[in-house]
Amino acid sequence: MDIGFVIVSAVTLACVYGTLAIGLSITWSSLGLVNMAYGVTFAAAGYGAWLVAEQLQAIDALADMTLVVGPVVILAGILTGAVCGLIVCAIAFIPIHDKPNFTVRGLIASLALSLIGTQFLLQVFGPRAKNLPPLFGDWELPLGNVVVTADKGGAMVTSVVMLALALRWMRSSRRGLEIRAMMMNPHAASLVGIGVRRTGFYVMALTGGLAGLASVLLSQTYFISPFSGLTPLIKGLSVALLGGLGSVGGAIAAAILLGINEALTSALLGGQYVLITQFLLIILVLLVRPRGIAGILDKAREA
Amino acid sequence: MGEVWKNPLTPWRGDAEPAEAASDPWRDPGEVWRAKRASSVPMHKVGRLRYFWKAQGHGERTWNRLRYWPTRRRVLDIRGEYNPKILRREKTILDRRPIYWALSFLAILLAPLIVPGDLQSTLISAGTVFLIYAAINLCWTLIIGTAGIFSLATMAVVGAAAYGAAAMSVFYGWPWWTLPFVGAGIGLVFGVVIALPATRLDGFYYALLTLGLNELCRVYVVQSRTFGSATGGLYGADSFIPAGLSPFGELATGYYAAFALMLVALALFRFVHGKRLGRILRMAPEKREAFAQAVGINYRAARIQVFILSSAALGLIGGFYASYFRGASPSLFSFDAVLLGLAMLVIGGIGRSEGAVAGTFIVILIDKVFLSLGPIRLIVIGLIMLGVVLFLKNGLFGIKQQFRAWRNKKKSENRSSRAEKGGEMLPEEATETEDKDLIYARRFDKMQRDYLKTIVSERLIEEHQRNPLGQHSEPLERLLMYFRRQPQVDKYAITVIEPFKAYRIVALSGHRGVAPRLVEEKTYPTEAEAYHAVFLRRVQDLLEY
Amino acid sequence: MIGFLARRRPPEPESDGSILAIRGLSAGYGPMRVIHDLDLIVRAGERLGIVGLNGHGKSTLFLAIAGLTGWQRGSIRLNGREVGGSRSQGPGRYTHHVVRQGLALMPQGDEIFHGLTVEEHLDSGAFTPRSWRERAPRKERVLAIFPPLRKLMATPVGRLSGGERRMVSLGRGLMADASLFLVDEPSLGLAPKIGKGVMDALMGLELGNSAMVIAEQNVALLEGRVDRILGMHVGQLKGEASTSLASQTKREL
Repeated sequence: MDIGFVIVSAVTLACVYGTLAIGLSITWSSLGLVNMAYGVTFAAAGYGAWLVAEQLQAIDALADMTLVVGPVVILAGILTGAVCGLIVCAIAFIPIHDKPNFTVRGLIASLALSLIGTQFLLQVFGPRAKNLPPLFGDWELPLGNVVVTADKGGAMVTSVVMLALALRWMRSSRRGLEIRAMMMNPHAASLVGIGVRRTGFYVMALTGGLAGLASVLLSQTYFISPFSGLTPLIKGLSVALLGGLGSVGGAIAAAILLGINEALTSALLGGQYVLITQFLLIILVLLVRPRGIAGILDKAREA
Repeated sequence: MGEVWKNPLTPWRGDAEPAEAASDPWRDPGEVWRAKRASSVPMHKVGRLRYFWKAQGHGERTWNRLRYWPTRRRVLDIRGEYNPKILRREKTILDRRPIYWALSFLAILLAPLIVPGDLQSTLISAGTVFLIYAAINLCWTLIIGTAGIFSLATMAVVGAAAYGAAAMSVFYGWPWWTLPFVGAGIGLVFGVVIALPATRLDGFYYALLTLGLNELCRVYVVQSRTFGSATGGLYGADSFIPAGLSPFGELATGYYAAFALMLVALALFRFVHGKRLGRILRMAPEKREAFAQAVGINYRAARIQVFILSSAALGLIGGFYASYFRGASPSLFSFDAVLLGLAMLVIGGIGRSEGAVAGTFIVILIDKVFLSLGPIRLIVIGLIMLGVVLFLKNGLFGIKQQFRAWRNKKKSENRSSRAEKGGEMLPEEATETEDKDLIYARRFDKMQRDYLKTIVSERLIEEHQRNPLGQHSEPLERLLMYFRRQPQVDKYAITVIEPFKAYRIVALSGHRGVAPRLVEEKTYPTEAEAYHAVFLRRVQDLLEY
Repeated sequence: MIGFLARRRPPEPESDGSILAIRGLSAGYGPMRVIHDLDLIVRAGERLGIVGLNGHGKSTLFLAIAGLTGWQRGSIRLNGREVGGSRSQGPGRYTHHVVRQGLALMPQGDEIFHGLTVEEHLDSGAFTPRSWRERAPRKERVLAIFPPLRKLMATPVGRLSGGERRMVSLGRGLMADASLFLVDEPSLGLAPKIGKGVMDALMGLELGNSAMVIAEQNVALLEGRVDRILGMHVGQLKGEASTSLASQTKREL
């Protein structure tokens, strides 16, 4: 097996899963919702992008203009994801967010949504897998003896850029401050005039958009099917877990760590052991630091 | 609007007082009283709201002599009492759940015998699946409800045990009766391994981790050649159903064996949830763990014990599963299996045995019996689950409790609006007051103040300012009378600093020998102004108090 | 329904000069009733003290105004707009609307965002659209009141000491463009000297057209420094706090 190829694909996957993990992390820490419907959001966004891509390819003039098709398809994925996020918010967050036992009920509600959504997708689109056209053109970038292909390079660059934009928005804007304040202390947040429900919609649209982005990027290498959301969900969850729920920095560190682990394991032991080593790693880290890597990074004292 | 009040004293006093003043029309003091007494609150009949069906006759003693062996628990919780209204004894069944359990056991026992012939294989095998899943969910509800560990790896334990047992039987030819024990052993080991992180991790970290473990098992099994990645499962294990039975005999054997399995699981639930371990764990509802530990309960050890016990039981069920289905398939580990299991728990209500069984029944009924619905089945189950989660606090069997909590809240709200009508004293205070006149005096006072609040107006204050002493219009006179009648404690008065030059407002202490205290620093040049300032303060107190 | 009205006009006191007018308010949590049929009027420019022992409903009154109690009945008018009748069960379904009407609640204990820096924290106080635009001068004003915060601007609040946290939490409240400041036990849990300093800062604040209500257990901290003192006893307000009330709360001194 080519070690360079393995590393490149591991880094690509790390970028994509990192995007997912950050979405999950933000949802959990600002809304207190473990969004299990994230996998369905992912799959649905893939289908949304696929529908748009089909439409675009039907137009002959646009058929091989990657510069136009690519961004439009990505945008379609992000939008579908955001819409799905809004739906999840309206069903699993708004009615119960101030009821007792919200965390468990929210988790279960999002699981139910995931069950319904998956079956719905299966009904509408059928079990056959779909795939997207190449979005980033057809180029190769040799770096030493490693070759970065168009889809992987594009995925890496796009996810890093979009993540950086999202994080910058979180850090500097008023809405970002709103979300971060709600992440820290929802009770105090409502006392300074932050509407919990409205912020819920912002957060879910943002994280849904991230899921949509990840979906489009990942479907460059994998297929879109109703059940395709599960693996990314699990991977995203494990990255978020390892990084510590609620910590963006931790999630990035964890994504890199798990990417390296994946590359090393598949190169040294073989592909089927990836999950095993990954979980051993997670359990090991969590046993030492129950709050994940963020437990090490976090500077602030617990209140 | 504006009415003119004519001073009746003008002929005698001449110009000493104004002859007339603009005034408000007269208002009936009874208005406030009547408005306050009209209740907008729905009133309920007086009496108890929890009704019990009462049976006639003696019987408490007789019933209480019956106990479940080997415990000292009574068969039915029956209270006998003498009813003085009908001059006879009555008995009340306080807890009817044992009756419902007995009836459902009877129904389960008789069900295969009354199933119509053409549906036999569908219904009886669905019944068997129901009983096996009920057993699984009873153990799961022990883990989630009693121990409070949000583990989603239940199906992983069952599946691992089933695969292990099946492997033992397929590769080494072990007979069927060893399989549950093999499964229990595997479950125990698995339980210990996944209990390790549970000692350190918080609820949701653990839930996500176990979900991942489940997926890990699935991927491993699907890719592994030993466990039949090519054939879609590991089949060929020894079964407890003897060869050569009629089709009905085969189905019935499996069914009744699964029933016995569910009874074992119920016994385990009772043993863990109702006895020492369960008591310990229920003593410390969520987030009170520190408190429980402070009074000497090893909460963590109790949780882990429950977890490992249930895991061993789940392993046993897994072994049974392998010998019933003659093997195991990767679908045990699928995400949908976890979801459906969780749906069963959630619909019935987490943490109660009847919830686990009833929830399983509903979900299996939809999933295995209404096969004609196709994939919509799962959507229906998802919708039920969603509805239950959104509207119910703890599943179907939590409705009663939720309803009571809601009713108590409404009661309290309504009582508060009745108290508004009733007056000064709180109901709690009123029942403890010896002198009941005081209650009515206060109520009258409150009504009077409410009325006086309505007559305070700009015009009235203006009138007082013009002429603080002497004859006033009717409403102002009422107001002043009320102020004058107030007790001495904290009553405003004016004190003379320098006659005809400086006056100040004080508040009387109401106690002999205690000097009045100064209310404000301001001094007033004339007596009239000081009087008016006192009046304003009193009006303000009236409006606010 | 409240949100609708909130966005149009900027908050201003009612024609009779009252900022807060509570009439017949009862509030509680679940089956428990804490506040019983309470009336209160707070006028513009007024500093009002509410004194009462633990568990007599001071904090619940404030929470009821902010719409944070389990249920409530009665009318609360803030700046002439009805904000009562909201029955939240958790972190404020309506609270942010009430806050936009011009309420700044500085709750008991420190409801702080422990990961944000002091500066971001103060920014978060000025969250209503109008005060966000002019948050820089407001920040200067708060820093003038609490000078020790100037050095700590870039520190996460989670690292501060109790007194500093209280300053941040009060400062956050003062950042808001509010017409009613509700301060719940500002000296609770602080060393007497620091508590006194915090109280001095509150007393020195220029109120202008707004009003401030301070709840305290210790009547001595308020006596002679506020315009009015009301006593709170089992969920009801009892006129002007008198010597009898002072002797009741004396043991706190």
